[in-house]
Amino acid sequence: MELNDANLQTLTEFLRKTLDPDPTIRRPAEKFLESVEGNQNYPLLLLTLLEKSQDTVIRVCAAVTFKNYIKRNWRIVEDEPNKISDQDRTAIKANIVNLMLSSPEQIQKQLSDAISIIGREDFPQKWPDLLTEMVTRFRSGDFHIINGVLRTAHSLFKRYRHEFKSNELWSEIKLVLDTFALPLTELFKATIELCQTHATDINALKVLFSSLTLISKLFYSLNFQDLPEFFEDNMETWMTNFHGLLTLDNKLLQTDDEEEAGLLELLKSQICDNAALYAQKYDEEFQPYLPRFVTAIWNLLVSTGQEVKYDLLVSNAIQFLASVCERPHYKHLFEDQNTLTSICEKVIVPNMEFRSADEEAFEDNSEEYIRRDLEGSDIDTRRRAACDLVRGLCKYFEGPVTAIFSGYVNSMLAEYAKNPGENWKHKDAAIYLVTSLASKAQTQKHGITQANELVNLTEFFVNHILPDLKSANINEFPVLKADAIKYVMIFRSQLPKEQLLQAVPLLISHLQAESTVEHTYAAHALERLFTMRGPNNTTLITAAEMAPFTELLLNNLFKALALPGSAENEYIMKAIMRSFSLLQEAIVPYIPTLIGQLTHKLLLVSKNPSKPHFNHYLFESLCLSVRITCKANPTTVSSFEEALFPVFTEILQNDVQEFLPYVFQVMSLLLEIHSNSIPASYMALFPHLLQPVLWERTGNIPPLVRLLQAYLEKGGASIAGSAADKIPGLLGVFQKLIASKANDHQGFYLLNSIIEHMPPESITQYRKQIFILLFQRLQSSKTTKFIKSFLVFINLYCVKYGAIALQEIFDSIQPKMFGMVLEKIVIPEVQKVSGPVEKKICAVGITKVLTECPAMMDTEYTKLWTPLLQALIGFFELPEDDSIPDDEHFIDIEDTPGYQTAFSQLAFAGKKEHDPIGDIVGNPKILLAQSLHKLSTACPGRVPSMLSTSLNAEALQFLQGYLQAATVQLV
Amino acid sequence: MPTKNVTDERLSKFKNKGKDPAKLREKRITECVELRKAHKNESFLKRRNLTLSSLPDEEGLSPDHLSAETVTPASMEEIIRDVNSESREAQTRGCQAARKLLSQECNPPLKEIIDAGLLSRFVSFLSMDDEPALQFEAAWALTNIASGTSWHTQQVVEHGAVPAFISLLASPMLHISEQAVWALGNIAGDGSAFRDVLIECNVVPALLARISPDTPVGYLRNLTWTLSNLCRNKNPFPPLSAVLQVLPSLIQLLHHSDKDILSDACWAISYLSDGDNDRIDVVVKTGIVPRLVQLMNHEDLSVMTPSLRSIGNIVSGSDVQTQMAIDAGVLNILPQLMRHKKASVQKEAAWALSNIAAGPCNQIQQLITCGLLPPLVEQLKNGDFKTQREAVWAVTNLTSGGTVEQVVHLVQIGALEAIINLLQVKDAKVILVILDAINNIFMAAEKLGETEKLTLLVEELGGLDRIEMLQNHDNELVYQSAHNLIEKYFGDGDIEGVKVDTTQDAFAFQSPDVKRTFEF
Repeated sequence: MELNDANLQTLTEFLRKTLDPDPTIRRPAEKFLESVEGNQNYPLLLLTLLEKSQDTVIRVCAAVTFKNYIKRNWRIVEDEPNKISDQDRTAIKANIVNLMLSSPEQIQKQLSDAISIIGREDFPQKWPDLLTEMVTRFRSGDFHIINGVLRTAHSLFKRYRHEFKSNELWSEIKLVLDTFALPLTELFKATIELCQTHATDINALKVLFSSLTLISKLFYSLNFQDLPEFFEDNMETWMTNFHGLLTLDNKLLQTDDEEEAGLLELLKSQICDNAALYAQKYDEEFQPYLPRFVTAIWNLLVSTGQEVKYDLLVSNAIQFLASVCERPHYKHLFEDQNTLTSICEKVIVPNMEFRSADEEAFEDNSEEYIRRDLEGSDIDTRRRAACDLVRGLCKYFEGPVTAIFSGYVNSMLAEYAKNPGENWKHKDAAIYLVTSLASKAQTQKHGITQANELVNLTEFFVNHILPDLKSANINEFPVLKADAIKYVMIFRSQLPKEQLLQAVPLLISHLQAESTVEHTYAAHALERLFTMRGPNNTTLITAAEMAPFTELLLNNLFKALALPGSAENEYIMKAIMRSFSLLQEAIVPYIPTLIGQLTHKLLLVSKNPSKPHFNHYLFESLCLSVRITCKANPTTVSSFEEALFPVFTEILQNDVQEFLPYVFQVMSLLLEIHSNSIPASYMALFPHLLQPVLWERTGNIPPLVRLLQAYLEKGGASIAGSAADKIPGLLGVFQKLIASKANDHQGFYLLNSIIEHMPPESITQYRKQIFILLFQRLQSSKTTKFIKSFLVFINLYCVKYGAIALQEIFDSIQPKMFGMVLEKIVIPEVQKVSGPVEKKICAVGITKVLTECPAMMDTEYTKLWTPLLQALIGFFELPEDDSIPDDEHFIDIEDTPGYQTAFSQLAFAGKKEHDPIGDIVGNPKILLAQSLHKLSTACPGRVPSMLSTSLNAEALQFLQGYLQAATVQLV
Repeated sequence: MPTKNVTDERLSKFKNKGKDPAKLREKRITECVELRKAHKNESFLKRRNLTLSSLPDEEGLSPDHLSAETVTPASMEEIIRDVNSESREAQTRGCQAARKLLSQECNPPLKEIIDAGLLSRFVSFLSMDDEPALQFEAAWALTNIASGTSWHTQQVVEHGAVPAFISLLASPMLHISEQAVWALGNIAGDGSAFRDVLIECNVVPALLARISPDTPVGYLRNLTWTLSNLCRNKNPFPPLSAVLQVLPSLIQLLHHSDKDILSDACWAISYLSDGDNDRIDVVVKTGIVPRLVQLMNHEDLSVMTPSLRSIGNIVSGSDVQTQMAIDAGVLNILPQLMRHKKASVQKEAAWALSNIAAGPCNQIQQLITCGLLPPLVEQLKNGDFKTQREAVWAVTNLTSGGTVEQVVHLVQIGALEAIINLLQVKDAKVILVILDAINNIFMAAEKLGETEKLTLLVEELGGLDRIEMLQNHDNELVYQSAHNLIEKYFGDGDIEGVKVDTTQDAFAFQSPDVKRTFEF
């Protein structure tokens, strides 16, 4: 591509087309540009256009295209072709800074971004003169140019704030400091002087203050990794000026906008960050300046208004004070009673007030309000910062601070009492203050776990919280109602039980409140109260204590779901789940009605699942209904099936992917309740469960495997009888799962169920193939998880079909295979098997191989007999080997393997662990002793001689212990 | 039953299952590039305007004296003329005038003297044993030039001053010999290259020959300083043969009572021990470790600092080397150094502690027994940032190598709370190291079956909020590490399905190829 007018013309046309709203014009143009961007001179053509085109639109378009081109192509990836010619690279680097600086702001921004992308790759080694070129511009006197340079420098240096220390990084910073630090300092001083000269010229001030903000940002980046020698030597200049700027006010720079922070706020906010950086990391050097900054920042806080635009500044400033007041050597700055009073009065209290913005959120954006207020996404808010400051001050001054605030709380409550309608916000602030003062440690699970002993929480509850909860009109002062409910919720671990019990019916009635926040809080508070633990690991509040309110509770919860805005309210649904779980059989009389409501809800949400938590708790509630009801009367299972299967069928037919894993779990739960036979309705579904499309989704695998296991357990014979043609498909699932390192254990769960529950003759023809598949996987990709599952399987096989069958099937696949597996897999790896059931299966299986397999006594396998016995004794006595080879750490395992399907997404759909051996074998060690005894009586003399020749002494001792315990002797 | 050895080996595998201990419990040595001002309390690389201890009284040429004397300094022309003249008297006068100019506090005209081509003259005067005054003045002038920048030192070396100064060491006039010691110290202090030039020219035996019971203390101070500069600098280290030559004398000097001698001898040891385990081995084999530990207790900061640094270096070595320091009692002294009033001492002590904590659990136990955890937690809570950083490493190392009981103990005395508070520091590496520590503590809790208890504790201490916030961190590894902790211990872990559009009825259970032979 030549750099000529014709090409410029063509490029202009195509760029124009890329702006066309019609995709049939736009897309081909974009394609064309992509197809030519590999040509030499392409970037230079773009640069020419963005500089010289007559059309501003084309200039901006060229700039954006250029930046994106750089973003895609500049980095040289190893083993890939260099996508930009060296000549173009050199030319770009030679011109771009100049071009950026002389361009209007819109284009300047794009080029500045491009420079930082190039800089990330080339700076400093491959772009040595960039810095000097930038620094010379400082002397231009043109602040449009200077700000361009500063902005570019900021995008080049800001990575110093988050990258790890390394010699390479620090060498670069050193180089930057050598060239940049002094000119930056000079520029800083000069800019401040200019601010004084132009103190009345608003346009000049705007430019100068953006420069100062950028300079302050650069200061932060350059000082982040460590305190550079230059800045230590020039600390006086910087800190004095920062301090001056912090205290500066200029009417001209105040903005009318209430939301957007102005230049002055941005600058001061950055200076707070800079001071905080020095106070935290360079305390020794910064100490002389710190008191001045504390005073300045505090004055700043006192004089800053309530508008949203000051939020960042205020929260940064408060956080600075909070971090300083905790340090022992600065405590003297705060300890004076007047200082403390003044901080409490002028900094903390005003920032805890409920603002109009909060009020708007409470009414119109309840989800956001709840997230901030309840779930702690209030980082960066004023209230949060003020709370942190209270906590910081309490470290050394808990007594005085509590006393000061008690005064405020009382006066605010008095104000409220005078005229509640007018002054309700005072009470809100008082409650917030008490909360922040009292809470020293908090968790979602228990609420506040450690409280300030100087605050009487119960008294406050009785005098100020309870009256609000008891008020006849639940829709009056909804904010105060929400505050009161929240108080109960977060102080639940601190309040005496009788107070909580007193609150429960009141909370139940608040479920009916119109305000979304209020009834949501009521549901949440109830849910939290129901999870509290009492003595003996039971719930604190019992079903008996709830008896008088059960009906009202269930009614109000379900009615709350009908309130506007709460149709899919996850807090309410969770409260339903928790109520079911607490009330247990007390809900049985209501279930016939409630199950209808729940399935109706399910049908509605399955059209468009959008609230994952709501849906999850909905399914949990369904599981609880089933479990609780069927526990009392298993025959009711069919009524649930009747109610649920139509919805489930719809979900399956419409392939509502989010819900399938849940449906499979609920079905497993239902099927497992059936005593022995499998209903026809399930059998009809069986072929569909083997469809590959279901198994391609990883989330389906654990619940589907569990469901198939339930099918096998209840209907192994039915499948063999009426669906024998589906057995290959079933084994196909096994084969698919076994091929995946992540899911192979699921494949084994399935296989184990097949072995355990299918009539042996129905799978005879497939057995050999199953083993061959396992051996192939063992050979190609042997992981610890696979080996563990494999060992459990072969031992289960041995238990089920006998040791001889196991040995014969191995040796029929390949001569001497049985010995190889014992020697290479069983003996060295059995120690890794984990889980009590798994261990028992392996112990029994190995015992059988040792004592019921003639080949172990009379062939070349005999040499493995003692090592196998030794491994078994080690398996009994040594700690489990849970080491994993290094190369296996990165296997993507979503589930921890166990004999059971450990997948339990639905907590209330779980089933108890299944033990295929059961009580037949109580103690495997005794079984070993008895079996050895039997073997030794069958061939007298041989067993003791094998033991005495090669069994390790320690192992022998253990074995003698087993024999003694079983009261048998070897002969 | 496996034999005892096999069991031990297996048990050792359990302790750090799932991670590479060497990678996590890094013994850490300081990195090279520095942004900070050079440490104020470290010894000087080059020195100018020292008072020679052995200067005969009648000469009375201390720098203080000089300022009074040089009211009317000679002009450069006069100096050039005098130095280049053939008259001994003029030469001496010229050298002296040059030396006085070069001794002035501000902007001594080093370059002017070099540009005037006087260096070769000065060097030639060094060998004039029959003109001690001239010899001395020339040596002094050259010393001052060598104290300048690398370029200045280079000029002195390139004019052949090294062999001349080495010969001068043997001068019967003590002050001339001492001047040579000083000049050589300045040249050695320039860097590895000239240091090795000196060593090549056999400076070491010539210096050591001057040490005797009668050597005056002042002279010995200068000599010790020069020896320390010969031990200084890495990339490359001084040749092993030279180190082995110097060490016996350094050991001897470390038993001197003079604090300046002790200080420089300690610095020398700190340079020699600042390297890989083989370097450290050379030092510890001399049996000096107990003396170094003793000197960590020295009242004078200038002695305590380099001895602490040396021991710090030694405990960054192998477990055996670390054990030698422990056996010598380092753990009894570290608590008071952790609480020293100077932040730089606290930091060095915490660094040493972090490396001891990277050792096996029996060393960690000794560390606990000697009461190091309380000061460690104090520093985590209230220390200077540099100290906090080292203390955080100590916690991470301890939690990754310690036994479950040791980790529990650490948590109980408040370390978890302290590191959680530090999650807000403005240093990505420190944050990552803390997240590692929290992860280690969780692994210990898992072994005790107390994961849930720990989850609540972390949340109560405000850790959950902080870790959640770190999921917005710009540093990829910090983000990842925070995310993993949340997922593993605090999350509910939603699994999302992957959509695949196959429409077969079932999977085929395929008969695999049986031809191949299995071999596991």
